[in-house]
Amino acid sequence: MNFINDLLKIIGDFIAGIIQSILGFSPFLADLVTMGLAAVILCTFAALSFMGLTYVERKVVARIQDRVGPNQAGPFGLLQPIADGIKMFTKEDTTPATADRWVYNLAPLVIAIFALTTYAVLPFAPGVVGTNLNVGVFYIIAIGSGSIVAIIMAGWGSNNKYALLGAFRTVAQLVGYEVPMLLNVLPVVMLTGSMSLIDIVNRQTTLDGNPGIPFIVFFPLSALIFLISGIAETARSPFDLLEAESEIVAGFHVEYSGMKFALFFLGEYVNALAVAFVFSTLFLGGYAGPILPPYVWLLLKAAAVFFVFMWLRGTLPRIRVDQMHNMNWKFFVPVSILHLVVVMALMKLFVTSPAAAQANGGILVTPIVQAAILFTASALVLIGSLAIAARRARIMRLQEEALVAQRRAENIAAVSA
Amino acid sequence: MTIQQAIFILLALVILGSAIFVVTTRNLFRAALMMMLTFFGVAGLFVLLEIGLFAVAQVLIYIGAISILIIFAVMLTRGMQGMVPRNSQATAAAVVAGIIFFVLLLLFGPLRTTVDVARWPVISLIAGNASPRDVGGIQWTPAGQPIPPVPETYIADFGRALVDLNQYLLPFLLIAFLVDVVLAGAIFVARQRRPAEVIEDRQRQAEEAAEEAEAMRQAGMKPDAAALPEGAVASTADH
Repeated sequence: MNFINDLLKIIGDFIAGIIQSILGFSPFLADLVTMGLAAVILCTFAALSFMGLTYVERKVVARIQDRVGPNQAGPFGLLQPIADGIKMFTKEDTTPATADRWVYNLAPLVIAIFALTTYAVLPFAPGVVGTNLNVGVFYIIAIGSGSIVAIIMAGWGSNNKYALLGAFRTVAQLVGYEVPMLLNVLPVVMLTGSMSLIDIVNRQTTLDGNPGIPFIVFFPLSALIFLISGIAETARSPFDLLEAESEIVAGFHVEYSGMKFALFFLGEYVNALAVAFVFSTLFLGGYAGPILPPYVWLLLKAAAVFFVFMWLRGTLPRIRVDQMHNMNWKFFVPVSILHLVVVMALMKLFVTSPAAAQANGGILVTPIVQAAILFTASALVLIGSLAIAARRARIMRLQEEALVAQRRAENIAAVSA
Repeated sequence: MTIQQAIFILLALVILGSAIFVVTTRNLFRAALMMMLTFFGVAGLFVLLEIGLFAVAQVLIYIGAISILIIFAVMLTRGMQGMVPRNSQATAAAVVAGIIFFVLLLLFGPLRTTVDVARWPVISLIAGNASPRDVGGIQWTPAGQPIPPVPETYIADFGRALVDLNQYLLPFLLIAFLVDVVLAGAIFVARQRRPAEVIEDRQRQAEEAAEEAEAMRQAGMKPDAAALPEGAVASTADH
């Protein structure tokens, strides 16, 4: 059982041992080589999961839309990703005549690099993590803003109106949705007292007298808004305004073909998968879970989150630009700030450690009671804000309907006169 | 040469090279992209100094926000396509950068081993009556001595320093206030104005312009048509 649980760590130690003892490298060089190997494995994992995910997504969306999906290449169409890959490789690699060559050609690389670097801080199992940054959460959000740069480079470098329009939309969307994302990571960081992803996972296990409750129970509102902002950050449907086919052809990657287009595609999927992993780590307890080995738990959770992404993609229509911005700036940001203040006050009022209670005052409660209090507060803020938003939307809709009815009456009167 | 020195030289080359490119290139968009590379190099320097927080903040704020805003401004000020915006400020930028570099060299460079609190009213205001070697919570290391390691809890220390009355609370609040004012100002400038207000404004502008033109006509001068808004030109054409 232990062997299976620590499989990844044992393999890693084994390889490190081989490199250090058998090949006779110095400790520093051995570290360097092991790190390099780990990075290569992580990147390969991400790229391979991209191949698998395209197949799964097409199948799932097809099911939702009452189709069969890819079924020609291999059994159940399982070889479809490979066929897609061959197609991408054999396509002509075009560059527009008036493009800014350097910028145009670098953009796909930049997006792939930024997408892959996110995986460096994800803990896959106890002791299996690229690097335990003490600013892990902050790092993930900062790296996420890097893909904006790549998209701007692509939009500008293509020298195409549609591409530039897509880039404009991207900046407005991605920069905007970073704000609620950060605001909703803050409660988790405050409760944990650390920005390291490993500490955040440990806080959700039963280690060190923690209650073993995932943070989604503590902060349902944060989890919901983080998930939605995550979808917006990765520009997946229903937030795929930057590549809306019916409006601006394909947005920023309209001029790209062949492998360059595939790199954009890869960046998009790897980013979405990274958001699924980060959401599982922050709010669903990461690799923590009973019976099954930790890495299996993490993969299961991430897969479940990614299934939600696919589900939304198959169900919801694309939202309008104004709706997207209104939702962010007029709903998510104010509600997140209100939630942050409420939760902050409650965390100061109800403390779990006797030392903190002695030092700063506050009511000493058990962790479970604290979780219950925070859950109630967060859920109340969520329900209250949703109720207010729904009421306001209803009033606006009624006003609009009244206006339409009035105009219609005027038109009829004018025609009959 | 240690590994750190090698990495430092590499980063310095990246920073200097991209910075020189920023001020010498004629293409403004590429200059902005290269500036991002410069910022990235500076983030690498922060990593080398073992302060990951500042490195990540550098990436998030300077690359993810400020550079993007600059690129946006570049894109919006010129035509959307065809034209490549040109940089005509290279000399001025080089002069300003040189001056700032010289000042920094004088203040923090190898010429100076300690920071004189008396010469730094702002720092002495923040730090109170700290000793010259320990200004504002920063341990200034004299030249030639090994740098002490960054404490494990530096993020928590940094956070406490921001809300400590004796350290950075006042500047922190001032900056927060400034940001608030800027935000409110931006919303005020960019707010959606009601149609009635817009019409009123246009009428007033046209009237003012017409009055001005009338005054100029009476003074025996020809009205300068190019300087007037469209409505005003139409109204003066009647005379």
